[in-house]
Amino acid sequence: MTPENLLHLLQTTRKCTFGCPIIDRSVGGGVACNSLTEIVAESGCGKTQLCLQLCHCAQLPLSLGGLNASSLYIHTEFPFPFRRLQQLSQAFSSSYPQFPNPSDHIFVEPVHSAQQLFDIMPKIESFLANRDSPLPTRLIVIDSIAALFRSDFDNTPSDLKRRSALFFKISGKLKLLAKRYSLAVVLTNQVVDLLDSSDGISALRIGNLKSLCSSGRRVCPALGITWANCVNSRLFLSRNEEVVGEGDGVVNGGELAQRRTRRWLHVVFAPHLPKSSCEYVINRQGVVGVESQ
Amino acid sequence: MEVGRLPISATLRGKLISAGYTTLSSLASVSPSDLARELEISNNEAFEILKFASHGSRLDRPDGSGAIVNGAETAWDMLHKEQLLPRITTSCADLDNLLGGGINSSEVTEIGGVPGIGKTQLGYGFLLIQLAVNVQIPGAFGGLDGKAVYIDTEGSFMVERAVQIAEACIEDMTDYSVLVKKNATPHQVQIQPKDILENIFYFRVCSYTEQIALVNYLDKFITEHKDVKVIIVDSVTFHFRQNFDDLALRTRLLSEMALKLMKLAKKFNSAVVLLNQVTTKFTEGSFQLTLALGDSWSHSCTNRIILYWNGDERYAYLEKSPSLQSASAPYSVTCRGIRNSTSSNKRTKMI
Repeated sequence: MTPENLLHLLQTTRKCTFGCPIIDRSVGGGVACNSLTEIVAESGCGKTQLCLQLCHCAQLPLSLGGLNASSLYIHTEFPFPFRRLQQLSQAFSSSYPQFPNPSDHIFVEPVHSAQQLFDIMPKIESFLANRDSPLPTRLIVIDSIAALFRSDFDNTPSDLKRRSALFFKISGKLKLLAKRYSLAVVLTNQVVDLLDSSDGISALRIGNLKSLCSSGRRVCPALGITWANCVNSRLFLSRNEEVVGEGDGVVNGGELAQRRTRRWLHVVFAPHLPKSSCEYVINRQGVVGVESQ
Repeated sequence: MEVGRLPISATLRGKLISAGYTTLSSLASVSPSDLARELEISNNEAFEILKFASHGSRLDRPDGSGAIVNGAETAWDMLHKEQLLPRITTSCADLDNLLGGGINSSEVTEIGGVPGIGKTQLGYGFLLIQLAVNVQIPGAFGGLDGKAVYIDTEGSFMVERAVQIAEACIEDMTDYSVLVKKNATPHQVQIQPKDILENIFYFRVCSYTEQIALVNYLDKFITEHKDVKVIIVDSVTFHFRQNFDDLALRTRLLSEMALKLMKLAKKFNSAVVLLNQVTTKFTEGSFQLTLALGDSWSHSCTNRIILYWNGDERYAYLEKSPSLQSASAPYSVTCRGIRNSTSSNKRTKMI
């Protein structure tokens, strides 16, 4: 066993850009390679959007903040948003004409259960080791990890024990792959509502934010504290609806009042990042950060 | 060579030396039958050698200071030795007070807390501050004399963050040395974070077998690379929470590893810092937070510190220590590393 050279590691540890300077700024340049990054959000915040965008940006050359690599997208929630992928690909190739078919370098694999995910790990590894493709694969997205674990297990002590053992097995394997092939691994996770704020363990504070709020409700990431131990960094996306322009021409109040959704990205914890956040919008071209007032 | 002085035949002496027994103390804990088997000599010969050796070692100690077992020390000597050992500062004054000046060299300290509380940051702190101090001080004596081992099991070690904290440490110490001696020599060599990084032996382990193998190998490694002053395992837990259906086996492996780490700490006078995760424990119908790896593991460490949130502030609680009382202290994680909590700064200012 020999120690690794940190100076060499400093030069070779890459980040995969989100394709937007404002978002990149708040996450220190993008998703770090050799580690697991989790994106937590309720549905409709843009987890999948962000992941799809990441898969495109991974193809960018190193000089543009990408990984010069293809990506593997493991989806567990159906259906896979092919139409949106195509839309993003078109937008991507119009801004980077040197990539005419970005979708060619995004590999998609469906997975239906946690055990299946663990079982296909050897297959994934041989896929990663296969260097025949023009671009090596250096990004794995699992969207979402929660869907796998929230269905198959009962709320009994033995099942929960089995579940947490599987958490550690899968994350251990993913970390091994991440290290061996210098991958960036991104996992998405859902949230659960926090019913009673004083309710012991699930109200437990993890990370920079005192409480996570989305759509005006207090939420906490699914899968509990055991899973929180398994990831290296955690990002949280939130959205809140605001009523704008109330009163000008709106007759029936509530229903017709113009609403605007504001979305935020927060760093919950990460070994290399300070507490930070930024606002973003989702448009046809993808996820774009906005300078907040 | 001490065995050279033993009144035994030259062949036996040769056999002893080629088997690696060069000092009398190395013979102190060998049984005659083991020695006979190892040197391929008769039991009687082995017995004779050991008799001479024990006689010889008694002669070595003419004052006969009452050491019953070879290598025994009096408590008074140990106290002196311990007082001489340096402590490793956390660079947060409140935490240092809590720990009686910092992390103790030659002891095993465990630090646990929820994700995102700053375990890894504390790990970086011990590593880099210690190294920065080493790099700065022996400059006049030529060469660096302290090194560190960082065992990363989770992949949370970010070199860019290490560089950030190292830079801050260097800045702080340059400021400090300017303050202390007003006529600071202008030609003082500017140390770079690079110099510090070169003194970190970073190991990334991807399974528990690798982790155990590495801990076993560390003895040899540190003997070869002298002056490892800090050993950090981030985290000791991760690989032991997967693939263990046999919990008794896990307990045995863990306690064996803990013993080895303790031995390393004592032998090389280096501080061993183990980071641990938290888990929930189901007792009497309610869930409680505890450090992972169970109750038997909690005996394995000399000191134990638990990190927790109190409102919007991070606190450290000294749960277990052989010499200090339990207490807690606030700290904060800044871009420069671990520092005093901002609110406690305000408090001191107001007073």
